Amino acid sequence: MASLAHPQQRQFNPYSENGGTILAIAGADFSVIAGDTRQSEGYSIQTRYAPKVFRLTDRAVLAVNGFAADGNMFVKKVKQRLEWYRHAHAKDMPLRAIARLIQTMLYARRFFPYYVYNILGGIEEDGTGAVYSFDPVGSYEREACRAAGAASSLVQPFLDNQIYFKNQRPAPGTSHPVHLPLPTVLSIVIDSFTSATERHIEVGDGLEIYVVLAKGRNLQGLEGIRGMQELTVTEDGERVFVVRRELKKD
Amino acid sequence: MFLTRSEYDRGVNTFSPEGRLFQVEYAIEAIKLGSTTVGIRTPEGVVLAVEKRVQSPLLESSSIEKIMEIDSHLGCAMSGLTADARTMIDHARVTAQNHAFTYDEKIKVESATQAVCDLALRFGESVHDEDAMMSRPFGVALLIAGVDELGPQLYHTDPSGTFMRYDAKAIGSGSEAAQSELQDKWHKQMTLAEAQKLTLRVLKQVMEEKLDQHNVQLAQVTPQQGFEILDEVKLKEIIEVM
Amino acid sequence: MDHFPTNWGRPRNDAFDAYATHPIHQRPYNGPKDTFADGVQHTQQPIVTGTSVLAIKYKDGIMMAADNLASYGSLARFKDVQRLHPVGQYTVIGAGGDMSDFQYIQHILEELSISEISAQDGHELGPVEIHEYMSQVMYARRSKMDPLWNSLIIGGFKDGKRFLSYVDLLGTTYSASTLATGYGSYIAQPLLRKAVEGYEDTLTEEQGRKILEDSMRVLFYRDARSLNKYQIATITGAGVSISDSLHLETTWSFAEGIRGYGAQTQ
Repeated sequence: MASLAHPQQRQFNPYSENGGTILAIAGADFSVIAGDTRQSEGYSIQTRYAPKVFRLTDRAVLAVNGFAADGNMFVKKVKQRLEWYRHAHAKDMPLRAIARLIQTMLYARRFFPYYVYNILGGIEEDGTGAVYSFDPVGSYEREACRAAGAASSLVQPFLDNQIYFKNQRPAPGTSHPVHLPLPTVLSIVIDSFTSATERHIEVGDGLEIYVVLAKGRNLQGLEGIRGMQELTVTEDGERVFVVRRELKKD
Repeated sequence: MFLTRSEYDRGVNTFSPEGRLFQVEYAIEAIKLGSTTVGIRTPEGVVLAVEKRVQSPLLESSSIEKIMEIDSHLGCAMSGLTADARTMIDHARVTAQNHAFTYDEKIKVESATQAVCDLALRFGESVHDEDAMMSRPFGVALLIAGVDELGPQLYHTDPSGTFMRYDAKAIGSGSEAAQSELQDKWHKQMTLAEAQKLTLRVLKQVMEEKLDQHNVQLAQVTPQQGFEILDEVKLKEIIEVM
Repeated sequence: MDHFPTNWGRPRNDAFDAYATHPIHQRPYNGPKDTFADGVQHTQQPIVTGTSVLAIKYKDGIMMAADNLASYGSLARFKDVQRLHPVGQYTVIGAGGDMSDFQYIQHILEELSISEISAQDGHELGPVEIHEYMSQVMYARRSKMDPLWNSLIIGGFKDGKRFLSYVDLLGTTYSASTLATGYGSYIAQPLLRKAVEGYEDTLTEEQGRKILEDSMRVLFYRDARSLNKYQIATITGAGVSISDSLHLETTWSFAEGIRGYGAQTQ
């Protein structure tokens, strides 16, 4: 109950939360970046298809989660900066440069932040798969995997167990693999989202999984995946694929 | 050129009827009064060499500074009004640092060169409310040497803001003779040591004084060590085997 | 020295950074200064408000509905207000929320249309462009903490393509085959989804009108800030058409027999 002794102050709240979850996993020579497509506010589903994962360059994909208006604006500004960079320096911005750029862009808004969690995935200059994760004001690090968004507290512990093998002991005389093969990673991603859909009301409707494959690698079993579509435009470079799947809509 | 001099060489921003900017052309002429500066690109790195004109025996030759660092992978040699170069190099340094801050990578040699050239035509009258601009063109030419993902590169800039990439380039008073010598001697698979010797030989030919470790300065940019100015001990060794 | 070329003055004070060599873009503001800027009050709450807007995709294009009421709090203040507004030949914008802000939006869209027509460059603003423009306006105003207090649905049909999208005071945007603002998003949206999803390409105009009429009726029964007088707009290949005000037929006789709550004693 509001106290009557003090005058009430109401202020316009410029933020909202639009639900959804994103995640990314880096392999030895590939990177997988995924997000669901539901956009919601409170208990209402605004739309069943609002993409949260965006292709930036031939070797970089960005997933953005949080306040959708900020997210869309942020992606728009990042893409604009990538185009300026291309004009000024006659090349696509490398992944780690995009990561640093995202930090400076987020931190520039330290005192009126973009209310979004970013996960950047792709291929580094040296051909390795990479994932960078950010907080809303620009703290970032390179990791092997990261989940963010509404169901991050459900998905991240699962990834810790399945990717980092936390709380698992290798069989005697063996050791845990440092990098998992692509089909295994895709299974983990799909399982993460079906599980998050079961247990979190803000996750569901559709799933978009982007796969970036390092230069000159074979498909590593990706060819058999249902709902796969290749987005690559240039020959003899990195290859980008998207896998679209349905998630439960309830 | 000097025969056609008219009122059109007064205003720095006025084209002559033939479509020329005389003040810019004069500035380019001013370079030819400067000391000779030579740059050579090889697959192993880029070498820069300048002549230091020691006009008086009382002059401390080590205080003549005609090669400067822009970033750890970028160096710059100058000829002409060397004081003007400080503004340009200052800008190049800030641009390079700013690029490293924002993108976590070294700026490309061409981009740094472009940044310097962006300054070149910013002269003329300034309007109130604006920071005072340069009142005349810069009277200096630069040889910008660097190594990036495209390998070792050498760029030449002049007061018109034009920049071009060279395998070997000489600027300054002895540049004509030096350039034809470079054209003769430069070859694709030149080693860094060969380039060091060639720059000094070229300088020796065009210098009035006898070349020694005090009246020349040599610098190089390599993928391994980045930019470094060679000290007099090292310089002496090269001169001896030259 | 200022090392950012974007801050350099003439001759390079262009509208854009032609060189794009620098990451931090801070242009000094040289425009007129508003002496009273510090004393300006920003919109903290809507005053005269419109309620839900509904929209669906159907076979021939887009259909939208909104009632004619503008409320002043709980007072039904204005009962002949049009909340569906045509923009150009291809688009209708429907608004809920503050009606004075909506009139301002109509005003800026009018100015935009005029400058676009005067350009005589062969470009015509379609629903896609108008939605993008409005989302930029709405997001820019929320970022100034001075929002335009509206939920807008923008529907249109151009080059053989249907377009239906939403934007609100926060700059949040989304599209779907059925949209509803305000109370309608709770009450009408489930009805619309059930009737429309999967049938977007087969629903006839007649069926679409029935779906919207039924939804408007449910809203009138349940939304205390709604009115039984409403309009329907269609946007198709034939252009924009906004109906005259329509009257909702409602039944209240069942209320007679209700016992157990309310004012009656027996």
